[in-house]
Amino acid sequence: MIPVKIEERFIQINTDLSGSILEIVAGTFAEQEFTINDSIYKTCPFLETTLDVVNINETFNIDSMVIVSQEQEFYVDVEAFKNENSISIIIINRSNVYQYVKQLNQNRNDLSIVKHKIARQNKELEKLRKIADLANEEKSRFLAVMSHEIRNPLNSILGYADMIASETTNPLVKDYVRSLLTAGKNLNVIVGDVLDLSRIEAGKLNLANEPISIKKIIENRVKNYKLKYNGSKIQINYFISDELPKKVLGDSVRIAQILSNLISNSFKFTEQGNITVKSELATDEKKSVIVNFSVSDTGRGMSPDQLKKIFKEYEQTELSDSLVHGGAGLGLSIVKNLVELMHGKISVESKLNIGTTFTLQIPFQKITSSIKVKDGKLKYGKEKYDLNGIKVLLADDDKMNQAIGSHLLEKEGSDITIANDGLEALLQLKKKAFDLVLLDINMPNMSGEKLMTQKELFKKYNSKTPILALTGNTSKDDVKRYFTLGFSWVISKPYTAEDLVTAICSVLKK
Amino acid sequence: MIVKKVLLVGSFGVGKTSLVRRFVNNEFSEDYISTIGVRVSTKMVQANKQVLKLLIWDIAGTEKNERIPKAYFLGSSAAMFVFDLTREETYLNITEYIDEIKELSGLDKFIVIGNKVDLLSTTELEEVKSLIPEEIDFITSAKKDENVEDAFKLLAEISLK
Repeated sequence: MIPVKIEERFIQINTDLSGSILEIVAGTFAEQEFTINDSIYKTCPFLETTLDVVNINETFNIDSMVIVSQEQEFYVDVEAFKNENSISIIIINRSNVYQYVKQLNQNRNDLSIVKHKIARQNKELEKLRKIADLANEEKSRFLAVMSHEIRNPLNSILGYADMIASETTNPLVKDYVRSLLTAGKNLNVIVGDVLDLSRIEAGKLNLANEPISIKKIIENRVKNYKLKYNGSKIQINYFISDELPKKVLGDSVRIAQILSNLISNSFKFTEQGNITVKSELATDEKKSVIVNFSVSDTGRGMSPDQLKKIFKEYEQTELSDSLVHGGAGLGLSIVKNLVELMHGKISVESKLNIGTTFTLQIPFQKITSSIKVKDGKLKYGKEKYDLNGIKVLLADDDKMNQAIGSHLLEKEGSDITIANDGLEALLQLKKKAFDLVLLDINMPNMSGEKLMTQKELFKKYNSKTPILALTGNTSKDDVKRYFTLGFSWVISKPYTAEDLVTAICSVLKK
Repeated sequence: MIVKKVLLVGSFGVGKTSLVRRFVNNEFSEDYISTIGVRVSTKMVQANKQVLKLLIWDIAGTEKNERIPKAYFLGSSAAMFVFDLTREETYLNITEYIDEIKELSGLDKFIVIGNKVDLLSTTELEEVKSLIPEEIDFITSAKKDENVEDAFKLLAEISLK
């Protein structure tokens, strides 16, 4: 006796060896689909050809087959047994069970496909990241080349302008040259800004960590601006709290750059009134301090809309009035980036026609006895060294740079030999002894760097001759590399007469 | 009437059911509904100047280390291995997979189908082809109805041999 519930879920059918239904033995499941003398293959096409090859006295099983009854699909398990004369087929409806199996299977496969999609997207992102990195590297390389290409002629322009200014007595020419020098110096600042920003963006700007005096930095900055704007209607003042440590560890060049950018900005947008630079101690911990800086002006201020854009790159020309100031609009963006690189914060408050205040909070490490400061840098010496009669080899492929260098050193009484490229410089160094060599880095035939790797070839006459690099590539990594190659000093292009002579004196004094 | 049983095998989600639906009903759905067990479809086809009834066993897609029950191959005449051109894991170990199925089924010849070509650019397709050590019989798209008919026709011809 078969229980009713099971009977509703299964059916047993006997067929002859060709599949023709002989009898419906038991069960009511899908009974209406099977008719005596009909082929079983009508309802179960999947059995066709299969039953033919089932061996006599062997069982054949298939799980989760789909059959259709009354236009509805059922998942069934099928068992067939073949003997000499007939085939017994049992079909069990397992739709309820397989419904869950199907759902689990679907979930597993969906999950796997989603995982595949994510992996594919990650692969795409990785590809895009590599492309972006390459583009960024290309940009940095381009900027480095451009920096060199711009700084070289700029060096000539500023050098010649300096020479004309010192030698002319004509007041009109002096006035023209002053304008030329101002424009050239502005251009130099812009080139520097673009390079700084690209280095910051590429994560290649390394901060120094050496003892610095915040007080001295502010005093120097204010003094410079007082001189620069002497006679203007703007007063610049400063206040430095006595609570500040005398020295902290930091990057004096970059702190000075931040303050200079903010002060310059104030001068640009203040026609008359006051600019005040303040520095106070915000917090004082055992090993560190946080210093507040502020630069306030009584200038024309900014609207809330302008304020929103203030730290964005190249936004200066977007200011709503028609007054467009010099520079590329990168100064404040560089300030923000530098402050953040120092783990500090910057904010700005401004009211239209009242003025603007930039406030910075920068943490510094205190100098404790346990901190050893590495400072391998050469400092310009103040002492004057007599350059009269010293033999100098000047190697530079740029004729104007040759002329400026020669002019500056001949004025000091030095004996100059010119080389037009690295190869000519090598020949000179192999031929005779010099007291000093000024070597441009980027030269045809043989670069300055390459020449420094051939020191063995000129050791006979110039094994101890100090060699100074002339270059526009002045990133920390570049300078470090030049020192490693054996350069005694690196002179950054464009240089002034004072820069050149002071550097030479410093090196020769050693 | 000649009746031939043919099987479609390959990883899950490669489009076996979509190929069968396109071939049998000329339908396509973007929805992915995984197959469990076996679904058999039939279609009358003409191959080698003969009309035959093709019993197409669409076997649930497998994952790594999952084996198709040997009983499924009983009485079969040919099989089609389908892989997804956009999913490396569906064709990475294609040779091993085919060898294993050959051993299991006793079948000599498989036809190899790369499906979902509509999702690849020409360059990407060439890249994928270069990664596959087996000869691909047809590159198909069930969605765009590309080469589906031809693939099944070849399968039918092989089933007659």
